[in-house]
Amino acid sequence: MATVVNDVVGSSRGLSMNHWRSRVLCLCAWGAAMAAHAGSLTVKMVDSQGHPISDGVATIDRAYQPSAPSTHYVDQKNETFIPYVEVVHPGDSVVFRNSDSTRHHVYTFSPLGAFQFILSPGESSPPVALNRAGVIAVGCNIHDHMIAYLVVATDFAEVTTQNGQAHFDDLSPGHYTVTVWHPQLWPGRPPIRAAVDVPAEGATQELAFTLKLMPDPRHFVDREHLDY
Amino acid sequence: MKVRRLYPMLALLIAATSLRAQDYVLHAYIDERLVAAPDDTSWTNGGFGKTRYGGNQTQLHFGGAALYGAAQITPDLLAMGQVQYQTGDRGRVSLLEGWIRYRPVSTTPWRWSLRAGALFPPVSMENDGVGWTSPWTLSSSAINTWTGEELRAVGGELELEHRGEVSNWDFRASLFRRDDPAGTVLAIRGWSIGDLVSGIGTRLREPDAEVSEEDETPPNYYDPFRSIGASHWGDYVAVSWHAPGETSVSVMHYDNHADPGASAPYAGGDEQYAWRTRFWSAGARTDTGAITWIAQALDGYTTIEPIEDAYQRTHYRSAFLLAGWNRGAWRPALRIEHFSTLTPSSDIDWSQSEHGNAVTGALNWRPRSYLRLTAEVLRIDSTSTLRAEYGLPARIIDTQLQLNVRLLY
Ligand SMILES: [Cu+2]
Repeated sequence: MATVVNDVVGSSRGLSMNHWRSRVLCLCAWGAAMAAHAGSLTVKMVDSQGHPISDGVATIDRAYQPSAPSTHYVDQKNETFIPYVEVVHPGDSVVFRNSDSTRHHVYTFSPLGAFQFILSPGESSPPVALNRAGVIAVGCNIHDHMIAYLVVATDFAEVTTQNGQAHFDDLSPGHYTVTVWHPQLWPGRPPIRAAVDVPAEGATQELAFTLKLMPDPRHFVDREHLDY
Repeated sequence: MKVRRLYPMLALLIAATSLRAQDYVLHAYIDERLVAAPDDTSWTNGGFGKTRYGGNQTQLHFGGAALYGAAQITPDLLAMGQVQYQTGDRGRVSLLEGWIRYRPVSTTPWRWSLRAGALFPPVSMENDGVGWTSPWTLSSSAINTWTGEELRAVGGELELEHRGEVSNWDFRASLFRRDDPAGTVLAIRGWSIGDLVSGIGTRLREPDAEVSEEDETPPNYYDPFRSIGASHWGDYVAVSWHAPGETSVSVMHYDNHADPGASAPYAGGDEQYAWRTRFWSAGARTDTGAITWIAQALDGYTTIEPIEDAYQRTHYRSAFLLAGWNRGAWRPALRIEHFSTLTPSSDIDWSQSEHGNAVTGALNWRPRSYLRLTAEVLRIDSTSTLRAEYGLPARIIDTQLQLNVRLLY
C-alpha cells in the first residue's frame, strides 16, 4: 500500500511543514443511502465549528496510473498563489504564471528538487517536472507571505473545494484507507487515516474528518501589520 | 546637518519614482484624538508626568501622521522608509527608519540578508503598524516607548534565517553608530508610556526642573541619535524562534559601546554626555484561540562618567503582558506592566529611584479597512524620588483617557 507523501520537504519562511503527522479530533464515517454513481466516495473536512475546510488533500490507497503526464498551473494574483494546494502525480509538470502587476520570485528549497524563477508581470515559468513523491512548499522571495504547496502523490488524491469536499468517482468496490493532509495541520502528530468500504452497488460513501488547523500562514498584508 | 539628512530620503524617492508603479507600496496614517489628561505636566512638556498628555485638560490633539514607502528595486533589493509628522516642539518631520535590504533567494533552508540604514533594533513585538504604531493600544508599553524614543541603529544588520521542517530560527547581528545618548531619558526622567516616537531629526526635551537645576533656562532639547566622543561601533545580537501557529520567542542583547567619559557640546545646554547603555531584552508571543498574547521584558544599565572615576549608573528594568482579543472589526486589548529605575550613589544628590505599575485598556473598532476608532484608558501608578526632589509628590497616579480616530491608507 502506497500512501502519499510521508515526508515533508520544503518550507517557506513562517511555515512549518511537517504536517503529515497530525491528529484527528473526530472521525466518523457513515454510509449514505442515496443512490448515485456506482463506486464513489466523498471525503468531507470540517473544523471544530463545523465549517468546511478547503485545500485539504484526501488520498486513497490505490496507485494512480496516469494515461499521460499533465501540466498544472499555479497562478499568482494579488500576491497570492492560486491554488494554495495542488495535487500532482510523478511525471507531471507545473507552470507558474504571474497574473499580478508586480514581480514575483517563485522558489522552493525542497530536497525533492529546488527551483527558482523571477517572474515579471504576465510572465510564465518554464514547466517544472515533478518526479518524486512528497510535499513541496513553494514561496516567493519578494513576498514572504506568499505560500503554496505541491502535493506529488503516487496514489489517487483529491483536494477539497470551498465546500470542504473531495470526490472520488468510478471506484471499484472494496475496502479503502483514506489519508488526510492539510498544510495547516499541527506538525508532529500521527497521520490522520480512516477506513471505508465502497460497496458494489450504486451508493456514494461519505467519510468526514474534523481537523484542528493552525492559523493561515498566508499573512495578508495589512496597514496595521506590515510585513517586512 | 538637516539638509544632509534629506539626501537619503530624496535618493529613496527618486529611486521609487523611477520604478514601475507596481513595484512599490505606500501606506500612511493620520490621527486625531480627544484626550482627557491627568494633572501632571507631561514629559513632552518638560514635566515628570508619565503620560503623553498632561495639564488636566480635555481637548482635541493631533496625534501624528506617518508615511511608509517600500520599493522593490530588484528582486533582491528592497528599499524602505518611514517618515513621520508631529506637531509640537520636537521637530516636525523626521525619519523613523530607512534602509536598503539585500536578500538573495536561497534554495537551501538557510537564507541570509543584509540591511543597511537606520533601523529599529528588534525589541518591540507590539509596533508593526504604519509609523511604528501598535495595532493593540494607542500607547506603547514603557519598554517600546523607550525603544521608539532613544533606540535606533544607524549602520548594518546581518540576518540569517533557518527554515526548518517544524520551526524557524532567525539570527541577527548589527553594528551601528549614532546611538550614544541612548539611556539618557531613563536616567534623567525615568520610564514613560506613550506613542511619541523619535525620528532622526527629532529633539527630546529634558525635564525643565533638571535644566533649571543646572542654571540653564528651559526648555532644553537634545538629539537622541548622534555620535559622541571617539569613533566606535555599537552592536546588538538577537535570536528568534518561530514555532508553528504564530508562536515566537526572541532574546537580544544591545550595547552602544559609548564612552561614558565622552561628552560634546550641544545646542540646548552645556555638554551632552555619551551614555554607555547595555540591556537584555526578551519577548514572546503566541495565540490561544482568538487571543494574542505578547510579553516582553527588558533589563539593563546606562552609565556616565562626568568626572573621572565618578560613575553614575542607572539600572532600569520593565516587563509587560498584553492580551489582545481578535474579534474581527473589534479588537479589545489589555496590558499590565511594571517598570523601575535605580541610580545608587553615595552622593545623595545623585541617588535616584522610581518604580511603578501601569494598566492600559483599549478598545479598537475597525469598521472599514481605512478607519480605526480607539478608546483607551491608561492608568499609571508611580513613585519617583526625582519628583520628590523638586517638591512634587513622590507617588502619583496618572489616568489618561483617549478617544482616537485614525485614517489608514
Ligand atoms: Cu511575490
